[in-house]
Amino acid sequence: MGVDQGVRPTIKLSPGVEWINECYPTQGRHEHVSVYLIRTASGYIIVDSGSYYHRESVRSRIVTATGQRGLGAIILSHADYPHSGNVDAFRREWGEIDVIASSGVPELQGLPFAKKSKIGGSLDVLGRKFSFIDPPLADRSHTSWIYDHGSRFLFTADGMGNYHHPGQCALTFGEFPGGVPFSDIYEYHRTALAWLRYVDSARLRARLESIYAQFDISFIAPVHGNPIAVEHLGAFMDRLIETANRIANEYEVPT
Amino acid sequence: MAREFIPGVFWIQECGANLNDLAAAMLMGSHDWYRQGREIHIPQNAYLFVGKKTLLFDTLSPASSNQILTELSDILGDRPLDYLVVSHTDTPHAGNTFKILRAYPRATLVGPRYGDAHELYHLEDAFKVGEGDSIDLGSFTLKFHEATFLDAPISVWMTEANTGMLLPVDWIGMPHMDGECLKCVDELDTQVDADRLLQFHGRVFFWLQYVNAPKTIAEIGRINRQFNPNIIAPSHGLVIRQDASRYMDLMKDVVQSISDRGRVGVVG
Repeated sequence: MGVDQGVRPTIKLSPGVEWINECYPTQGRHEHVSVYLIRTASGYIIVDSGSYYHRESVRSRIVTATGQRGLGAIILSHADYPHSGNVDAFRREWGEIDVIASSGVPELQGLPFAKKSKIGGSLDVLGRKFSFIDPPLADRSHTSWIYDHGSRFLFTADGMGNYHHPGQCALTFGEFPGGVPFSDIYEYHRTALAWLRYVDSARLRARLESIYAQFDISFIAPVHGNPIAVEHLGAFMDRLIETANRIANEYEVPT
Repeated sequence: MAREFIPGVFWIQECGANLNDLAAAMLMGSHDWYRQGREIHIPQNAYLFVGKKTLLFDTLSPASSNQILTELSDILGDRPLDYLVVSHTDTPHAGNTFKILRAYPRATLVGPRYGDAHELYHLEDAFKVGEGDSIDLGSFTLKFHEATFLDAPISVWMTEANTGMLLPVDWIGMPHMDGECLKCVDELDTQVDADRLLQFHGRVFFWLQYVNAPKTIAEIGRINRQFNPNIIAPSHGLVIRQDASRYMDLMKDVVQSISDRGRVGVVG
């Protein structure tokens, strides 16, 4: 396993969590296709595996960040290709490491070797407790949001995302002047979660707030957005609910 | 074994997983359609249209690679597969795309034009279709439509013009029991009622718990008027070939129920 001296470093978000911030350019802007690396006393875990499109970069950054130890486990929010596209390659590289699939039937997702998580349940992975949450913002039915009790990160898969622009790829929400603009949050959700045209934003807000009340969160970590430290969550939420209202109001059922 | 449920249209069904959790849940409540002790399946369906040209709609899951390749070989024989349509990029629908294209290298891959970042799904070179596009197979004319109720943003629905068939992909799915595989709804001894439809949609369309129910119900009315189907061929249920609009209307009760009570569970 080689280490490329030119590898971009991972971005340290907390003492034990690093952000592998890969981007895909689309329609004049960027969309993150991120992977998060968690260090535990027993080894390294990634939450989602990234896309085949970024495979070599993700691999090299993991090799560098782990001091060539590699991975001990992969936890998947769901089996969509940009999230699960490197599972087979990383298992070939680092052996038959633990793979935790989201709810559903792993065999149907092409993951017959995976251990299944259960929405509403918790699992111990490399000595670390993770809880699996019914996601209020997702597309696939087998998606789980994942809460890491060690770092207090909430990994939100396709939810809570935003587009960004060149030069903003490595910023957290709070590092943007004024935070991530509303327009980038709106455009992302309008494209990624088509069902928001029917949403009742009061219900959405209530569900999100119940999650925040249940779990003591330090960071929101979306796959397709810039991470949000909890002190900026209020500002993000205002823009998210405005996003939901606008998407719903823009769509009227044709008569 | 596939079923030719109308001349020239073959229904290929994957019923691999016995959903014990779902069966156990059915025993906890009153469900007129469920018979104690029976296995429950939520299938993956693929549909093969054989006219002057041939078209396959969806691919089954990676757990059934051999099944789909064998079925295609048995039905097509020496004939080519001309088009492979992927309704969306979810693995149980698209998971055998490359194996099928390797077996039928002259087939044209057809994918949804909706959504973005198609390259991340290997669809950058697919022939993209959406509302207003069609493919003429000779005896069948397939038309493509924006998917109204969907999961992935890269999604498309399809209709067949001569038979009045709607293929709404994940919408109007339903569980069935052992012994009911590849049966049409009108051939069942058990009911397909709102509760049966709820047991699928209340698990898969989890987001219906967050919607404005009257608006969503109005949308169901709109698509019923728009498509007015004679036949509904879902990806995760049994084919409906009688009184199809009544089942579309039942979905209004399903949406209201999920809105009132929330998600009923998960599949698996």
